[in-house]
Amino acid sequence: MVLFGVDVDYLAFVVLFCVGLYMLVRKSNLLKKLLGLNVMETAVFAFLVTSGMIEGADPPIRTAGTGPLFANPIPHAMVLTGIVVAVSVTAVALALIVQIHAHYGTIEVDELKGLP
Amino acid sequence: MRWLGLALVVVAAATLMLGVADLPPHGAHDAPVHTHVGARYLERGVAETGMRNLVTAVLLVYRGFDTFLEVVVIFSALVAVVALPRGRAARSRDGDDQPPAALLTREGPAQERISVSPVVAFVVQLLGPFIAVFALASLYRGHVSPGGGFQSAAIFGALFIALALVQGRERAARLVPRGARVWLQALGPLSFALIGGVGWVLTGAFLGYPAEAAAYALREAMVVAVEIGIAVGGAVILAQLFMAMEG
Repeated sequence: MVLFGVDVDYLAFVVLFCVGLYMLVRKSNLLKKLLGLNVMETAVFAFLVTSGMIEGADPPIRTAGTGPLFANPIPHAMVLTGIVVAVSVTAVALALIVQIHAHYGTIEVDELKGLP
Repeated sequence: MRWLGLALVVVAAATLMLGVADLPPHGAHDAPVHTHVGARYLERGVAETGMRNLVTAVLLVYRGFDTFLEVVVIFSALVAVVALPRGRAARSRDGDDQPPAALLTREGPAQERISVSPVVAFVVQLLGPFIAVFALASLYRGHVSPGGGFQSAAIFGALFIALALVQGRERAARLVPRGARVWLQALGPLSFALIGGVGWVLTGAFLGYPAEAAAYALREAMVVAVEIGIAVGGAVILAQLFMAMEG
């Protein structure tokens, strides 16, 4: 299905990415910024993992009764790596946000500005 | 400032749309992504690695170094989180003592600790053993069927967090004894390094796996050992991260 000249799947990824980007740059709350970053990551992962798809193909698990066409396993493996890195980034960012809240009593960027 | 952010999003959207406009349609079998080593892995992967789940084969054999360092990355994240001073101890400004639940609201009132619904607690405790069995199955059969170490780690970690939410952190923390925790949280990198070393001795290459058909059982044991390391190490890291987030 084609919408605005591109595949509707690609359109969904672009929309999801831009929703995340908007949250990241426009929200003042650090937690919401982090959520935005995660939404962006989700868009990238969905884009990558679906790039391995082939119309009518089986998952890349070669057991009896599957094939002859299989989806590409490389994007799957790379997205798995990406998810682990995303989890790590989220964990460290959350810990830092807890620290900021403990130290300044707020996690709003506009209130944090100018604080010593 | 308000328009700057919106303009950035519009520019990003336009750039992305230009980018995806030239991509081949989804699911095309002749897309560029399918023209590199993917076809070779699909064709020879089972013979070369003995794993029928080719995602695991790519993860543990063809891209083993990548996965090794990925395990190191999540371990480093745990080190970074634990190295930060604990939130409550660092709280010095005007002695406010809001629970972390107030983080999302701008000036949230101090909220009482929400008690867990007995229905939720019952369902989590009822499903707990089944979730654990599912995680074990996805770990043990990960190289021949859907699943694998990381998936198992995510399920175990989620189970731990669910139990910690309904039973309290103290009871859940007893699931992982303090003495064992130190070693278990590093089990991912440790098992990878160990099996990589075994592969070095056997084949002359770090993270190498013996390729002969006769060594099938040995190869399978090595793969399962790495998967167990990833699963247990990953699950303990997820649990530790959750426990460290206390405000």
